[in-house]
Amino acid sequence: MNRFEWTDAATVHEAISQLNGRAVVKAGGVDLLDRLKEGLEAPQRLVNIRNIRGLDRIEEGKDGLRIGPLVTLARLSEDKLVLERYTALAQAAGRAATPQIRNMATAGGNLLQRPRCWYFRQEEFHCRRKGGERCFALDGENQYHAIFDNQLCAIVHPSALAVPLMAFGARVVLTGSKGAREVELERFFVTPEQDIMRENIIAPDELITEIKVPRLQPATRSFYIKQGEKESFDWPVADVCAVLQTKGNVCLKASIVLGAAAPVPWRASKAEASLAGKVINEQSAREAARLSMEGATPLAQNRYKLAVFEAIVRRAILRQASS
Amino acid sequence: MTEGIRQKAHIEFRLNDEAVEVAFAPHKTLLEVLREDLNLTGTKHGCELGECGTCTVLVDGRAVLSCLVLGLDVEGREVTTVEGMAEEGRLHPLQDTFADLGAAQCGYCTPGFLLVAKELLEANPQPSREEIKEALAGNLCRCTGYIKIYEAVELAAARMRGEEARPAKEIIYGYE
Amino acid sequence: MQTRFIGKPMPRKEGREKVTGRARYIDDITMPGMLFGATVRSPVPRGRIKEIRFDPQIPWDEFTIVTAQDVPGSNYVALIVNDQPYLADRLVNHAEEPVLLLAHTDKYLLEEARRAVRLEIEPLPPVFTLDESDEKKEIIWGEDNVFKSFLVEKGNVDDVWAGADFIVEGEYRTGAQEQLYIETNGVIAVANPEEGVTVWGSMQCPYYVHKALIKLFNLPEDKIRVVQTETGGGFGGKEEYPSMIAGHAALLAWKSGKPVKIIYDRAEDMAATTKRHPSRTRHRTAVTRDGRLLGMEIDFVVDGGAYATLSAVVLSRGTIHAAGPYNCPNVRIRSRAVATNVPPHGAFRGFGAPQSIFALERHMNKVARAVGLSPEEFRRRNFIREGETTATSQVIREAVDMQRLVERAFELSDYRDKQERFARENESARVKRGVGFASFMHGAGFTGSGEKYLQSIVGAEATPEGRVRILAANTEIGQGTNTIFAQIAAEALGLDFEQIEVAQPDTANVPNSGPTVASRTTMIVGKLVESAALSLRQTLQNSKLLADSYSPEDFSRACRDYLAKYGQLKSFSQYKQPAEIDWDDEKYRGDAYGAFAWAVYVAEVSVDTLTFEARVEDFVAVQEVGRVINPTMAAGQIEGGVAQGIGYTLFENVVWRGGRMINNQMTNYIIPTTADIPPIRVHFEEMPYEHGPGGAKGIGELPMDGAAPAILNAIENATGLELNQIPLMPEQLMEAFRGEHA
Repeated sequence: MNRFEWTDAATVHEAISQLNGRAVVKAGGVDLLDRLKEGLEAPQRLVNIRNIRGLDRIEEGKDGLRIGPLVTLARLSEDKLVLERYTALAQAAGRAATPQIRNMATAGGNLLQRPRCWYFRQEEFHCRRKGGERCFALDGENQYHAIFDNQLCAIVHPSALAVPLMAFGARVVLTGSKGAREVELERFFVTPEQDIMRENIIAPDELITEIKVPRLQPATRSFYIKQGEKESFDWPVADVCAVLQTKGNVCLKASIVLGAAAPVPWRASKAEASLAGKVINEQSAREAARLSMEGATPLAQNRYKLAVFEAIVRRAILRQASS
Repeated sequence: MTEGIRQKAHIEFRLNDEAVEVAFAPHKTLLEVLREDLNLTGTKHGCELGECGTCTVLVDGRAVLSCLVLGLDVEGREVTTVEGMAEEGRLHPLQDTFADLGAAQCGYCTPGFLLVAKELLEANPQPSREEIKEALAGNLCRCTGYIKIYEAVELAAARMRGEEARPAKEIIYGYE
Repeated sequence: MQTRFIGKPMPRKEGREKVTGRARYIDDITMPGMLFGATVRSPVPRGRIKEIRFDPQIPWDEFTIVTAQDVPGSNYVALIVNDQPYLADRLVNHAEEPVLLLAHTDKYLLEEARRAVRLEIEPLPPVFTLDESDEKKEIIWGEDNVFKSFLVEKGNVDDVWAGADFIVEGEYRTGAQEQLYIETNGVIAVANPEEGVTVWGSMQCPYYVHKALIKLFNLPEDKIRVVQTETGGGFGGKEEYPSMIAGHAALLAWKSGKPVKIIYDRAEDMAATTKRHPSRTRHRTAVTRDGRLLGMEIDFVVDGGAYATLSAVVLSRGTIHAAGPYNCPNVRIRSRAVATNVPPHGAFRGFGAPQSIFALERHMNKVARAVGLSPEEFRRRNFIREGETTATSQVIREAVDMQRLVERAFELSDYRDKQERFARENESARVKRGVGFASFMHGAGFTGSGEKYLQSIVGAEATPEGRVRILAANTEIGQGTNTIFAQIAAEALGLDFEQIEVAQPDTANVPNSGPTVASRTTMIVGKLVESAALSLRQTLQNSKLLADSYSPEDFSRACRDYLAKYGQLKSFSQYKQPAEIDWDDEKYRGDAYGAFAWAVYVAEVSVDTLTFEARVEDFVAVQEVGRVINPTMAAGQIEGGVAQGIGYTLFENVVWRGGRMINNQMTNYIIPTTADIPPIRVHFEEMPYEHGPGGAKGIGELPMDGAAPAILNAIENATGLELNQIPLMPEQLMEAFRGEHA
């Protein structure tokens, strides 16, 4: 880890005014310290936003749920309101990483984590995402890599919260020196084709200052499933969130997002379309699961992920019917 | 600006029920500050990347990984390490049961397990085996296979509830 | 027999230190003026070093820099074959090979400096797998890439094939495995021409390090001192490797004139230090229609990595265990350890046996199926019995009863009911369940004449407080050495448990009682503890200071009186091989081990046929290990070993790229967590062994052998899939399912 200066910001404005030169934001610090220790980044200054008041609230208003970026994963997973109404979000927060990390890691930081690809994380591999010439995963060890949109760079997006948040149609508020802007989460993340050096559009002088989840339609339920190789610690091999609005046992609207599938959280549009207006049952769930994998381009060692995704997409849909 | 830019950090916090002041370079982690500047070496380096739970301490009663917390982050907070578990010369019940029931083998992961177990028992005095497993899922042990750790947590919990508890028979495999 | 301490769950001797944070591991120790050391390693697997470049940004004059040219003695790690340099000189033979050492007081600057050294290496063609090495297209070591080979012959296997009712063949593979002790490797060294070299560190075998440093510095024995500090796990990973890191720290200390500490971080420890040898085993077995073994031909190959290290000995143990606890009249085992351009593989709990036993116990299921018998019935017809011989023609002199262990394990695991129930339920279930078992043995102590050559010595010393201190080089690494030695000595002398101390292993203070390996500490060294303690008592009684009948207080008083009169009281005991042990090193025939532990392990699994997730749901471990000295610790050894075995089978996958481990982090090299380990139920059948202390046999490695084959046998029972390679990852399970249904 390199030496750096430290600034404690008391307000959003203070934080932004410090974000110049080689300065980075520190909230929970989990992924940041990891990257500093691995030598992936060497900032001159850390701007600590952990103590800014008002950024750690969970509130429900008439337009929906507002989550402060400093809310920890542990709080999200335990919050009564989130558990009852936005179940998948609590589930995703509660299944991420380990108890200790959930006590430290923040919602904003979870969305802004850098990829876990082992080539990206190892200093020795100068890959495209670090400004190099090639993606080592494409012809290398790629069992955990992307099965969609993986021609240029085969990372998968590491955020667990992004999966349910995107499925809920969440937006993020970004505040910077030029003021605040609100962006749909769907447009917040960027694909390798758009910009291979980054995973989202946040500017160096911006903070996520709020996450907004729109008010749910009546009779809407959500479910999140994570499949890993072991039960704790692990980032998922595959994860999915299904948000279904139903009338009786008929699905009115489905929102299905896959994690660990592509360089961005991946919306399974064909699966969503196939469920609309259908009775939720084994057959429709199976069909949606099949369609969720249509167009996948698995690499040499990760074809098994298609079967895993089909299984968990199907299960996530059927769990709503049974709940 | 609350503090301005710091080249050398000087902070105050509560450590194992005592007020401490310490100065250190701002890039130091809490783990390094505890071990190098406060001479409390009971908290161990395991992986440096938040992957093993060995360096766990309690900050304001919640278990965190001291390798991923900067020392600066605990200003004004309450930190508990393994050295602070015993009270008035008496070991914490978890320390007794870990030592006696084989929950500590090589001992290197033990401080981290003890602190997570302490956090658990304070929130939940009568955890089920499943709840213990979930709470300890962020700590790796390579020696025990975890079984004896569960048994030690269960016995300590019973003693802390004031029950006249002895090791369950199966713990010592039929031996008297 | 009525005992006071043997067989009792005595609490761990150093337990209180460990639960209060007072136990001092190497990284908890600092010395005035101490520097930190770091290692610059080769990024390429094989090549010629052309140039070493130093980035001018770094103030190099502040650093101590050591290369091969600075070695005062011989630049190799003294072990079996002296082929491994401390620092590569012209050639590198594996990625992560140490080339240059740096030391500085500031560990942050040191890390920047390590990254600022550029090695220019002209690449040579590397060999990465044991198959490539075995084919000998590229020769990278010696004349034929072979570190060591063995041939074991019993009867004449060539004559059996013609008369066999069935001939069954199979090939089995196992991967590398990282020991992953939670405390990484680390040492502190002080070294200068006046005082010689002293090293403190985390290690299993202080006298291995001692021997290596004598050669490295070309100094006399008494100028080298090695002290073991509290050690956070070893599992074999701190058997031979500490000689390397100790040498490095000592070289830096020698050149700088200051104490030097080297502590590996996790990534370096995983990438650069030893791992379990990957293996390939081929079986060809002749069997009669009624399921009797006629002949076994076994070809066993292990990947040794770039240097010989302990591969010959690992191969030996794997070879001897390859035919298992079965009575077969004709056996031929050919084995070899071959070189590849990956970091050297080394000692890891089980030491070759888990590899060959995995192959055998999967193969026995295959043979059973070919004959049309259940796995248990086929084994029942072939289990070895007292008076019969193993593959090395060792006559079994114990009343071994494997069938009784099977029955006990089946009863505890509800094996037969579950098998019947799962078969019924699996028809319609997407998550299939199954049970499987493995039956096996593990030899305790060094192989063959090993113990005879070691000539281990243990001392017992009276202290001024009137206690008895055990002097042995065997280390406490979590497995309970201190406690077991204290129980044995207290029992032998009729003293209180607290009256026994165990000295810190320090080559200046304890005799060479051999390495802490091979399940030998309790059975071999513990017996010497017992006899050294008894000999100390004899001296007291001969001196008339102690009567024939005495209380613990009398004993203390006698010790104090003796010291007042004569100054000191130490007695020593040296290993003598039991007369009946007979081993022929040339023919690799005879009594391979003084005693075997015998075991039957049962695994219950579930396999999700949609997500390809295989889980162990329940585990029963039944073993006969002689007399159990400390039931809590013995069960702890079994539970921990089974957990490592579960990891070996289903989780722990070393991913290689270009001869480097690319998943050298605990987040992507996965060991089991609390959420992954099933209930593990341990049962001991006790049959005291006459040459073990209190009747004990060795236990430490045994539990590593059984989990992998039991789990894969259970998966076969659940799914019908014949899987013969570990680790078994979801992608392989998927391929197997696809292959089945294609």
